[in-house]
Amino acid sequence: MKIRSDVMRIYQSMHIWTGIVTSLVLFIGFYAGSLTLFKPQLDSWLTPPGQVLPQIPTAQLDQLVGQVLDQHESAKAGFSLYLQDAATSHSPIQWFATDLGRELHLDARLWQGTLDENGQQQTLQVLPSVVAELVDYLHRTAGIPGTLGHEHIGIYVLGVAAVLYFLALVSGVIVLLPSLVKTWFALRRQKGERRFWLDAHNIAGITALPFHLVISLTVIVFAFHDQIYAGLAQILDDDTQISRQAPPRLTKTYELQQLLPVGRLLETAHDLAPEFKVTEMAYMGLQGPKPMVRLALFNPDRLMRGPISDYAFIHPYSGQLLNSTLSPGEAGLWGRLVASFFALHFGSYGGDWVRWAYFVLGFGGAFLFYSGNLLWLESRRKKRTKEMGMAEVPTQSRSCRVLANLTVGVCLGSMAGVAVTMVTGKLLYARVDNINHVSMAVYYSVFLGAIAWGFLLGPARAAIHLLHMCALSTLAIPMLTLLAILLPDSGLWPSTAPGTLGVDLVALVCASCFGYFAKIARKRGLEGPRDSLWSLHSGPKAPCLTSSNRVGSRQ
Amino acid sequence: MNSKQKIQADWWSKSLIGGVLGFSLALALSSLLTAITPGGMDGQSKVQFNMWMVAPIWMFIFSFSYLFRSGLSAMSWLTGLNLLSYSLLLMVLR
Repeated sequence: MKIRSDVMRIYQSMHIWTGIVTSLVLFIGFYAGSLTLFKPQLDSWLTPPGQVLPQIPTAQLDQLVGQVLDQHESAKAGFSLYLQDAATSHSPIQWFATDLGRELHLDARLWQGTLDENGQQQTLQVLPSVVAELVDYLHRTAGIPGTLGHEHIGIYVLGVAAVLYFLALVSGVIVLLPSLVKTWFALRRQKGERRFWLDAHNIAGITALPFHLVISLTVIVFAFHDQIYAGLAQILDDDTQISRQAPPRLTKTYELQQLLPVGRLLETAHDLAPEFKVTEMAYMGLQGPKPMVRLALFNPDRLMRGPISDYAFIHPYSGQLLNSTLSPGEAGLWGRLVASFFALHFGSYGGDWVRWAYFVLGFGGAFLFYSGNLLWLESRRKKRTKEMGMAEVPTQSRSCRVLANLTVGVCLGSMAGVAVTMVTGKLLYARVDNINHVSMAVYYSVFLGAIAWGFLLGPARAAIHLLHMCALSTLAIPMLTLLAILLPDSGLWPSTAPGTLGVDLVALVCASCFGYFAKIARKRGLEGPRDSLWSLHSGPKAPCLTSSNRVGSRQ
Repeated sequence: MNSKQKIQADWWSKSLIGGVLGFSLALALSSLLTAITPGGMDGQSKVQFNMWMVAPIWMFIFSFSYLFRSGLSAMSWLTGLNLLSYSLLLMVLR
């Protein structure tokens, strides 16, 4: 396919600049997003045994709720019930000791409750780990702190990045079109390093293009839905229609004793969606003007609106169905269409296979952004070498060095940060008062430390060190399980459930990958072109090179 | 190809026009789509559908605004298309 040269030039520049500006935040968003697909498993990996109380039959839930509401003032605002056959492990009832918003809560204590054999309530207060939430926060905001209005600044930053990312996708495809058929899926190793990286970048981008388009568009909506609704309200001149369809406001307040039995609410849900299973019932605002139970409806074979499930909202006192993401019939068609946009972002359709596919696609996206930056640096090197002539070894420009330092520090730093946070979260759990404060401090120190390391030592050396750090800290995740089995008195706990064992196995695979990358980075540093930013022969501390412990490539 | 036919980059003006006029055009087109599909404006979940469709339409217009010959031509085309779709929308909603 032929494309005019002036069009090509415009979209080439667009691709380069939108890519460079957004690559770092998108890298964190994608990498952390992959991990959030298995957020419940991450959470169980970090939760010590004994913090989850045994499940009870659904028929006994009313008895438990009654006893808890009698004795715990803090449960009266709201609580969550987890039904027996839910896939992840929870206590039958949970509620927070204090009221919470959507922030990261480092001090939030969570109550757990169940019934013993005699039908008497047993409760336990725990400090839930913040690490899985932190990963989710990194996914949504790239870890950028602060709020603007009721939204995180980081969410808007990622929203703007998603707009540029869409432009980068379109321009990337346009630039690739002329050579697409000729070099379809070619991965050329012989034609030099740049060719290899370019081919890999193109394959990663083109094969996952639908995924990337979906992610960029959904992120734009997640960040700017308020602004779009406001725009629509302006042009349609109809505030009532655009104001979000809120459940009917009821002014009457109820006594907690009037709560309908659990079985009655489950019947309503069953009538609505017989092929779905209720896994969780979240009671909210029980003493306010808008009481509501949110039932999570789960069916892995169906497309679901939320990250894990669909939802039905029922009035807990009257049993009226307030709202649902599963409206039946033709009227529900548009709702299902909207649900599919959400599901396509969350990967919550088609069960675990799709979840794993999204996991891989997320890492593929992170690779796309990382490789894009490397390609730009490499093309700059070629240009610079031509400009400076071959007489001496040319040095790279300041902008190249800065981008290389940031790419290495931000990307590898965020990955090492999460791994170190997980490891310290388990290792220090029994030894400190509030592990969550430690976890936050650890993540941000590793992340910022990695960036500083990049600027101190230059990208070539820092990349190798940080890759080793990623490898070791990720390897420590399964090692902790091994240690817990060997030393039962250590205060550590091994992974026993299939989900948490999966965390260990994936960590093991990732650790080997990081180790391998460190090895080839070292090889490139020693044997690659000397004018490259990745060469170990140049840069601020060249003579120190030989003091490193091991030369991987020339044994 | 002579220089008159060549596309000028005009980064700032085209980005501004594609971003702003593209957004207002997307609001109109998405509302039109919502109004003429079964259920109309008041159908169940149509409000959310309308909001969701703005993003893809907007980004499509935005990313291809750079194909206009210049910032000026982008401006005139998108202004015209805006006027056209808002009049259509007014007719449909009447």
